[in-house]
Amino acid sequence: MNAAAAPGRTGWARGRALVVPGLLGPAVVFIAGLLLTALGILLVNSAYHFTGTRIEPRATFEAYRRFFTDPFYAGVVWEEIRLAVTTTAICLAIGYPTAYAIAKIRRPNWVIAAYILVFSPLLTSSIVRAYGWLVILSRGGLVNWLLTVTHLVAGPVRLVFNFTGVAIALVHVLLPFTVFPILSILLRMDPALREASADLGATRAQTFLRVTWPLSFPGLYAAAQLTFVLAMNAYVTPQLLGGGRVQVLPLLIYENISDLNWPLAAVEAIVLITLVWTAMFASNVLFRRRLAAAGERE
Amino acid sequence: MTAASAPPAVDLQRVHKRYGPVHAVRDVSLCIREGEFFSLLGPSGCGKTTVLRMISGFETPTEGHVYLQGRLADTIPPYRRDTNLIFQHLALFPHLDVYDNIAFGLRLRRLPRDEIGRKVRGALELVDLAGYESRRIHQLSGGQKQRIAIARALVNEPGVLLLDEPLGALDLRLRMQMQVELKQIQHRVGTTFVYVTHDQTEALTMSDRIAVMNHGTVEQIGTGREVYERPRTRFVATFLGDSNLFEARVEARGPGETLLRAAGQRLVAPPAAAGAGDAVVLCVRPERVRLLAPTGPAPAGYENRIDARVQDVIFKGAFIEYRLAAAWGAPLIAQVHADGAAAIERGAAVIVAWRRDDGVVLTE
Repeated sequence: MNAAAAPGRTGWARGRALVVPGLLGPAVVFIAGLLLTALGILLVNSAYHFTGTRIEPRATFEAYRRFFTDPFYAGVVWEEIRLAVTTTAICLAIGYPTAYAIAKIRRPNWVIAAYILVFSPLLTSSIVRAYGWLVILSRGGLVNWLLTVTHLVAGPVRLVFNFTGVAIALVHVLLPFTVFPILSILLRMDPALREASADLGATRAQTFLRVTWPLSFPGLYAAAQLTFVLAMNAYVTPQLLGGGRVQVLPLLIYENISDLNWPLAAVEAIVLITLVWTAMFASNVLFRRRLAAAGERE
Repeated sequence: MTAASAPPAVDLQRVHKRYGPVHAVRDVSLCIREGEFFSLLGPSGCGKTTVLRMISGFETPTEGHVYLQGRLADTIPPYRRDTNLIFQHLALFPHLDVYDNIAFGLRLRRLPRDEIGRKVRGALELVDLAGYESRRIHQLSGGQKQRIAIARALVNEPGVLLLDEPLGALDLRLRMQMQVELKQIQHRVGTTFVYVTHDQTEALTMSDRIAVMNHGTVEQIGTGREVYERPRTRFVATFLGDSNLFEARVEARGPGETLLRAAGQRLVAPPAAAGAGDAVVLCVRPERVRLLAPTGPAPAGYENRIDARVQDVIFKGAFIEYRLAAAWGAPLIAQVHADGAAAIERGAAVIVAWRRDDGVVLTE
């Protein structure tokens, strides 16, 4: 026994120990390296001085002071959070039932059709998609025409170049990212668990509340995080459908970079990153126990 | 057990189940008595699980009726049936601890909290896992999960407990232990058990009666002894244990016996429902035959004698199994109690002999 154990990690065993770092290495170097470098540049830039036409490498907190004292920026941050939260909430409200229904489809062809339908937004370019929504949502567009002929509204409603338009288009783009994590967890769930619940006396509604819902929670949670992050960072959709009236941080960042005000752009980027990371971290802490319970598998 | 007038716990009347072109269950009629340990035995795909799922309400018969305790149950959904099912892979709720798993059904019935606590503790004691209330499912061993699944079902005091091959995932030793335990639990609670399995030993060990199924039909129903010793069809004879089968033709029917001819050899068998000239199969269990020396005296009653040669000798512990070839080439098998006597050598010529009543005539 000792003789067999003594040589320890030679040959094959040592090779195995190298596999994980070997495979992960390139990704870690690429992502962490670039991310950390970029963050460093960002931090340095945020502390530079901007004369109005060019940047001077002189340590100052002017950009931070401007961002945190001018109420305009607080308004932008608020608008951004409101947009991301609204979009995420609508995506979950539509996405969960969608995923649930797709998970119940039995015929393979219908499953494929449903997948194509849900994932179709990702097959179009974001610009084309945004212009498409502009046409549909405009004063004389399809939606307004339908609302008017059915007498749901007296005159055309404003659906583009405002918060509503951006939210509608964002929900459309982000829905696949909401549906997918929920769908994958629902498909992985052992159907016998729902049968066991019914067998023990639960109606369909009780089975959903006591078994399906708690077990699908990790999927819902992942979907919410993904959707929220993507909504916070959306650029093209707010740009085209907001028509300048919906201001969010990614738009400001781009604007300031064009104006050569890199320090302010850097501050805005830092604020955006901090907001997203804080939201992720806080929700992980908040839902830790529920996730741990639902994540346990037999 | 119960009065003869009590309605059967489960009564299937001419039940069929079709899935499109597949006829999964064909004309099955079963009457399972109150308090009985009843097994549905058959190979995979024989329809035994479908029958179980029709009793539990997860499937509806295409034709025929299911009665539970005398009540027509065809349209009663699973959650309103007085049955509980133990699933093949147990289906314990991974997000709940042991206590919440067992209390699941009791809570749905809105029992008072202290009564639920009492019943859960009682169920855990029944399966020998007292004190495991707050364990999580993934912390349990295979055998413990098994017991929790039994507790979760039995705590609801169902009229009928249905078990869908629940021991399949356990290793042999644990499986045999659980078989005995299940039988003991059934004795203690007195509930009707309907057990689905493809393992004949399991069915024989536990059941009061067995229904042997094949291709969606029930081939035979009886006690373990009946189906083993008096199989009615070739399938039952071969599925339960080993058999020597002789394709034969009825020559004559005498008083208390049937005369057969197989491969030119005259054989004597017990009375059978077959007329002269009919093709039948004679089945003789390997532990019923004796191997005699070709020159020795013939013991009384061993009227059937076939010349054979030993091809293989397999020591199986409690018995020695001989693989033989009859004079006309057919393979034969004999099991001889290992009593310490020297085994017959491979290649030796022997006479395979059995008494008239050791054989069973199968008319298919």
